[in-house]
Order: sequence, then structure tokens, then C-alpha cells
Amino acid sequence: MSKLITVQRKPLSLVLSALTLTMANGVSAADSNLEVFAENASYYRDEVGLSKFRNTLQLEFESKFSSNLFRSISVNAIIRGTYDGVYDMNDDEFGEDVTYQYLGEDWHSSDVSSPVILTPGVAVPCENDTLLCHNLDGYMDQDSNDIRYPDFNDSYDFIRELYVTADTVVGGDDILSFRLGKQQVVWGKTDLFRVLDVINPVDYSRHNIYDELEDIRIPQWMLKVDWRMGANKVFDDSNFQLVWNFDEFRPSNLGTCGQSYRILDAGCFFSSYVNASYLNAVLGSMGLPALYAGNVPIIHDVEEPDWNLSNTQVGLKWEGVYGDATFSLNALTYRQQLPSLHFRPFAEGLPIPAADGVFDIVFPRVNLLGGAIDYYSMAADAVWRVEFAYTEGEELARDTDGHKETEMARYVIGLDKNLVIPALGTQSAFLISVQLFGEHILDFEKDMPNEEDNWIATMLFKGFYINNRLSPQIILAHDVGGKATAIAPSISYLSGNHWLFNLGLNIKTGGDETFPWTVAGGASVTEPLSRFTNGPIGVANNEDEVQLTIRYSF
Amino acid sequence: MLKLKLFAVTLAAAVSISTQAAEISEEVINNSFHPYKNGVPSYPGLSVGMTIDQSNVDQFKEILDPAMYQFIKAGDTSITVGETTSFDLHQSYVDATRKYSAGVTLGAGNGELSETVAGRPFPEEPSLDDPRAGEKLAWNFKYGYNWGDSAAIKPFYWVMRNMDSGKKERTLKFNFNFLNYTHRTTQEPLPKITPNPSNLFRGTYAMVLEPFDVKNTQLLIHRFEDDTKLDNAYLYLGFQRRVRRLSSGQTTDAFLGTDLMIEDFEGYNGRVSDMQWKFLGTKNILLPFYNHNDLTSFDTEIHQNDEDGFQMVAYGGKGGCFPEVSYQLRKVYVLESSPIDKSHPISKRLHFIDAQTFTMPRNVLYDRKGDMWKSFTIGQAHPDHHLAINKGSGVSIDDAVTMIDIQANHCTTAQFKGIVDPSLSPLDKFTVQNMRTSGS
Repeated sequence: MSKLITVQRKPLSLVLSALTLTMANGVSAADSNLEVFAENASYYRDEVGLSKFRNTLQLEFESKFSSNLFRSISVNAIIRGTYDGVYDMNDDEFGEDVTYQYLGEDWHSSDVSSPVILTPGVAVPCENDTLLCHNLDGYMDQDSNDIRYPDFNDSYDFIRELYVTADTVVGGDDILSFRLGKQQVVWGKTDLFRVLDVINPVDYSRHNIYDELEDIRIPQWMLKVDWRMGANKVFDDSNFQLVWNFDEFRPSNLGTCGQSYRILDAGCFFSSYVNASYLNAVLGSMGLPALYAGNVPIIHDVEEPDWNLSNTQVGLKWEGVYGDATFSLNALTYRQQLPSLHFRPFAEGLPIPAADGVFDIVFPRVNLLGGAIDYYSMAADAVWRVEFAYTEGEELARDTDGHKETEMARYVIGLDKNLVIPALGTQSAFLISVQLFGEHILDFEKDMPNEEDNWIATMLFKGFYINNRLSPQIILAHDVGGKATAIAPSISYLSGNHWLFNLGLNIKTGGDETFPWTVAGGASVTEPLSRFTNGPIGVANNEDEVQLTIRYSF
Repeated sequence: MLKLKLFAVTLAAAVSISTQAAEISEEVINNSFHPYKNGVPSYPGLSVGMTIDQSNVDQFKEILDPAMYQFIKAGDTSITVGETTSFDLHQSYVDATRKYSAGVTLGAGNGELSETVAGRPFPEEPSLDDPRAGEKLAWNFKYGYNWGDSAAIKPFYWVMRNMDSGKKERTLKFNFNFLNYTHRTTQEPLPKITPNPSNLFRGTYAMVLEPFDVKNTQLLIHRFEDDTKLDNAYLYLGFQRRVRRLSSGQTTDAFLGTDLMIEDFEGYNGRVSDMQWKFLGTKNILLPFYNHNDLTSFDTEIHQNDEDGFQMVAYGGKGGCFPEVSYQLRKVYVLESSPIDKSHPISKRLHFIDAQTFTMPRNVLYDRKGDMWKSFTIGQAHPDHHLAINKGSGVSIDDAVTMIDIQANHCTTAQFKGIVDPSLSPLDKFTVQNMRTSGS
């Protein structure tokens, strides 16, 4: 990951230059504040033991300035340091010393594809396998310290956010607002799953899909400009936004093999090999001589886009308020944040992989058009949310040829209602929120390990007791295609102004879907493609947990 | 011929307007806005500087609302009597009343009102013989001068307290901003801000500063001129970093777990059409009106090192639930509001409206069974004896609040630094986009 270091300094120097420029133009400090919290998250996984012992110290700093140039100017920073002790306290299950009996051991029983065809994934490959570490360079190449201290890496992720914000009045009443620096830019209106909220990649290794997105988005060095036009004769509010993500591209972090959370178990698949004996047997069945002297790594190389202007990412958004509806129209050119696997044939036209690696990982350019609207229905006293995104350029896995570029349509319909239910013993309103996510693959092929149309339904029911200090909630999520369900009841308690306790369960079902792999003779098997059909909930079917989080805010 | 007809119609309209304008007499104006011009009320045995406590409260039962009488009788608190002083509203509001209110009439149904521009819609003395006098008072409250055309409370501390133990369970720190889109009398533009395509009446914007778990939460409420419409409400949660639309019909929701329902804000924060209003009469009642700068004790713990040297009102009495302010004997309209929705958690409120300012400094809430449930006090500070910037603003400044849940022995107190300064509440602060930009 050392190649990241030089380019990360460029955006940092840009922000510092911006600060210097503003300081030189009659800027003086007004008021500042610093907030600090310490947190321990201890999770216990059924039949596994401790799965998380994450200790976090987070500092949030804001300083506002007065300026001759700008109406307002401020600097914000969030610094986060994390140590996850699970790799020291439960090293039989997690970390660099773990070995697996077969690929996917953590979520399914063995079948013909594993271990006959594929070797088990190598935990933390950069500690255990020089070749894999080389092949995965720049992507899943964390070492043991990287997974223990995930914020302290070559990308300086301990600087969660660092940006300067400035507003200036233009053209009478309009306001031009700039935000420059490492930041999160959030589009859309959905929870848990992302449709328009795709500007920042996500770190799923922290806690799969279940942590707040604020904590798992990977902040990027960006410039955000808002032209706030306010009300006009038609709209109650109107705004035009430009986002320029000039950071070096970073994909979402799916979790390295050996980590306690690795979405879709992709990390172990990427650090596995195809058995040479199996490949040679296939060749033998075709009357061909053995060609493979050794096992073939699944991944040959990670093709990360270099930093240059054409590789930066740009988004535009127009949003406004019209009567009882708020809306946005969005356009974004970015890169797919999940890896696409490009098959490398042994020779042109041959359906057997190259001896030095089966796939290259690429992150193709994607163009997105979308929008969102929410509408307050007075009759139902509820808010309807609709969000949609159409993309071109995404690549999905398939059995033959490894991948295919396809247009995609994603949408979500949500309903939020606050409801006082005196019968449940509180005068505070319950929050009831339901969402239905849909995904449609426009260029679907039968050998894609996905449904042409799939839906995930979610529900949140949250209540408040004892002056809102005690808050029980339950979250349900069901993946229709994956036939998998997550149930997450929890209860949080605020003691005074400093202590927060949260105790929860996280239960999943599913993970039983299989998918035929023609290389295996068409048998319906689990590895490697059914990780997609089972989805993030189904693949985590053995990750039932009791979770306790304690936070102290200073 | 057409021109002639148009001229006649225009002339008739002009005559009509001038006739209506003439209907608001100076006597009505003086009675409504200057009730103490010819003297202040008195009561046998009551004198400035005296303390009403458990030992003498029965003597003054007639000039106390039922909840305050009960608290003092139980020894939960005592009150110091101050001199009754005039809280003159801004002259522009008085002038607007004179100019615009003559033709204002109630519509056929509850919550309906003829078009209004600015000022107090019904400045005439309410009559017990008028079956809709209560509604008129409710409209006078809705379009009251309140915080003026715009103001800020910065900062604004809310403390949840156990009344038995006095323990402070939780403290919230906010900034609040208010802006009137219409019914403006003081700050340009007058009398309304344009463009305003949804015909908004008022914007309320709040940002939570502390504690950490709710920091950066923002709330924006747009209230419409059309009283039959529910508010549009938007919530920005710091940890979600996006604006959510809120269903706003649940006005009986306990706001952030405090003892206040959203509907309780400022005395009553719902639609006129949600209540049946009944005027119960005019009385002289002791209300918490005072000069902030003349208070003898302040809370030096909760707010320190204020740039203006401002100090927050101190609280004492049982559980620390009572603001340590003085009370004036003032002219009061007693108004009863009963929810039309029979599933509402209360059966009625008694509002003790200050006749001069049309604020609601004392309110008593009754549960479904008809038992006294809560007591809500909004201490009113004179603007000329508060922050220097408030001098001459004509705003009766909300300064110290307590909502006491009598049945649960719990209270929520609030301490204000109210600032009448239009530069703190620019129009763009009341937009959805401002929430996104202000959220870090």
C-alpha cells in the first residue's frame, strides 16, 4: 500500500493551501470545541467466542472563524483510533494464525467444490503467503497490525475527516458554500443499504452491513460546492451541488481472510487457490497433458486505477422542496467499489485459467443517474420515500467468462411513521420505518449468481422510555432471493450525559442457497459463486452474536 | 362604461377599508396593549416584595392558578411578588393591529379565519357572551408578537430532573431560531417575505449542541398560514448525516424524552382547529414577569464565560423545578382548550394568557380522567432589562421554563439566552439545505 502515500499528500496540501489562503485574507479564530468519546464494543459469537473487542477513541474538533471574505468559515476534524483486541484474545478463531479446513468453513459445510477444487483461504495473506500478498497488493494486503489497528494504515485513516467549510453570499440572496477536504458526502434517503449513497466506499470489515454508515463510510478527499438558491416562485428551497472526488480511488473494504467480519467471505475466496491436481485432472479428461505445476492463485493482480485527472469522480445533484415533497436528481460518474473479477485464460479461447492466477480484480468506471423524493402525506401522517438509481458500466460475476458488464436499476420504497402508542407505556412516539429495496439486472444472464430481480425488505421499530434514556428497537431484514433473514433486537440506555450502554442480539438465518458451477460438471454447489446468491445476510448465517457496546463521552 | 364601473368598485372598496379601519378605536387599542396605563391591579394584603409561601398562600388563592396554589400549599416553592410593570409590545405591532385588524372575522368552522396581514387579529376585549371568544383568543395567541419577526435562543439549556431527589438526569443544549415569513411588522421586508410559494407562516430551527450522543441533530419546522395543514418537519440526525422528513401529526410526542410534548411549546403549539376553545373569564393572576437583570440569583454552573456577561436564571424549590423569579399581579384571560381528538392524552389545558403580551406564562394540563397532570411555566423577562441588544425590541422574552409532571414527580426546566437580532436568523437558516450544510 506504500504507493498510496505520495498521492495522499496532494489532497492534504490542497486543504492546507486553502486554509493558508483564507488565513491570509483577514480570518481570525472565533470559537472552537472539542468532543471526545471512548468506546468498547465486545461481541460474542455463538460457538466461536469473542468476535469483537474493539476499543475506539474518537476526537471531533470544530473551529469557527470570522472572515472578511466569507460569511462563515469553519474547520472540522474527526480523529479516530481503533484497536480490536479480538485478534489477540481469540487467536484460535481470528487473525494470522488461523487455518481453515476448507473454503467457506465459517458459513457452510464442505461440498465437492471445497476442498477438492479450491484450497481454503489463507488468513491474513501478507503474514502467511508472499505470493498472495503480492497479488493482492493495494487491496486485501493488510498485515496483522492493519487488522488490529485498522485506522493506522498508509492511507492515514485515523484522520477520519478534515475539511474546511466556507459560505459566501452571491447575487443578492444566493449562497455559495464550499467544503474542501477529507469528508463524507451523503446522497439519498435510505438506511442499511445504499442506492444513491455511493460516493464514499464502505468498510464492511468493521461490522458487515450493521454499523452506522457514518462509521463505516471511507472518507475521501473531495471538493463539494453547493449553490443554495433558496425559495423561488415554484420551489420552497432549491440547491445545486457539485462534488469532485479527487482522491485516489479506494474500493470498499470487504474484509481480509482471517478477520472476524468479511462480507460474502470474499476475502477468503480471494486468498485461495485452485488445486493443480484438479485442473490437471480436468485437462486429462479432455485428453490433454497436465499443464499446472502448482496450485493457481484465484487472484493474479489488482488493477487499481492510478491517480490522474481522468480517474477522478464527479457528481451533480439538484434538489429542492416543492410543497409537501422534497426531491433530488443525481448524476455521478464513479468507479465500481466492489471488485469485478476478469478471467485470465491459459491461452486465448481456452476455458482453463492461466497458471499464475485465475482472475484480475478491476474496478470499472460506472455512470449513475438517479433521484429521490419524499412526500409527507397528511392523511396518513406518514412520510413516503422513493429512491432510484440507474447505472451503466457495472460488472457482475458469472459462471462463464468471469464477468459481464450490465446496466442495473436499483430502487427503494420506504415509509416512515412516528406514532404515539400509549398502550405500550410511553408518551414518546415510536419510530416505524419499513423499506423495500429492489434490484433489476437489465442484461441478465442465466449463469449470473444473482436473481434478475431481487428484493430486500427491512423494518425498524424503535421506542423510547424513561425520558428517552431507555430505547429498545428491533431491526429486521429479509433477502428474498437469498432466503436469508437478519433479526437484530437491541436496547440502549443513557446514563446521565456521559455513559451509553447498548446490548443487542444479531441473529441470521439462511446461507443454504447453492449455484451450479459448470467447471464442477454443473453440480449445484456452494463455492465459489453461491456467496453471491446467499448475499451478505446468508453468508453470515453462522455469525449469531450477543453484542455489548459501552461508550463514555467526555 | 367599464372604466366607470371599475372606478365605482374601487371607490367602494376604499370606503369599505377606511370604514373598517375606523372601527378600531384608540380605546380598544389602549385597552388591549396598554392595560396598565391608568393603574395596576391590586389585591388585599398583597404588596411588592412580599413572599407567598405555605403559611399565607390561602390568603391569595384567588390570584393564583390552581397548580401554583397547590405547589405553594405543599411547600414545594414560594414566590416573591414584584411590581406590576408594563411590557409594551413593539409599536409596529400595535400600528399593524390598528391598520389591519378591523375587518378580521372568524370563518364558519373552527380554525378558519379571514385573511389577515399583521397585528393582533381581535384586539377587542373578549366577552363571556361571545361563544367564539375562546377561538379569537387562540388566534390572538397564534399571531401574537411573541419573539417578534425573528429571534434566536442561543444557547438554550434543557435539564431533566427527578423532582423527589433533585438529581439532574440529563442536560440538553440547543440553539433555537425563529422567523416569521408573514405577519411581519418590524424587520424588513414587511409585512411578508417573498417568494413564499407554500405560504409559510413561521419557521423554527433548532440545533442540538450537547450532549454528544445527539450533537448535530437539527430540527426544522415549517408552519403554514393555512391552519388546517399540518406542519412540515425535517430532522437531520448527526449520525445519519442526512435530512429525514418527519411525520408531524404526533404533536403529543414527548420531545426528546422531556416532559414537554411538542404541542406544549410556548404554551400551545398546535393548530387552532385541533382544540375546542372556551373563554372562562378575565382575572388578575400572579404571573412570572420580571426584569432579568434585577434577579438576585443566577445559575452560575450551567452557563459560564458568556461573551455578553449574561447569566441564566437559577432554579430552586422542590427538586430544583421552580425558576427563582418574581411574579407580578397581571390582567389575565383564562382560556380552556380541549382536544377534539378524544384519544389525546390530555382532557384539557387551562391557559392563563397575559392580556397585554398574549403570551401564556402559566398553563395547567389535565389528564384523560380530569386530574391535574402537568404545570407549565414560561417566565417572561422585560426586554429593556435583559441583553442590551434586546432593549426596545418590544418582545416579552421567554427566559425560564419549567414543565412539571405532578403525577410522576419529574420536571424539565429550560434556561434561555434570548436574542432579538435578525442577523442571527437569516432566511437561509430555515431551509432544508441549511441542515445539510450545517451538519458536519
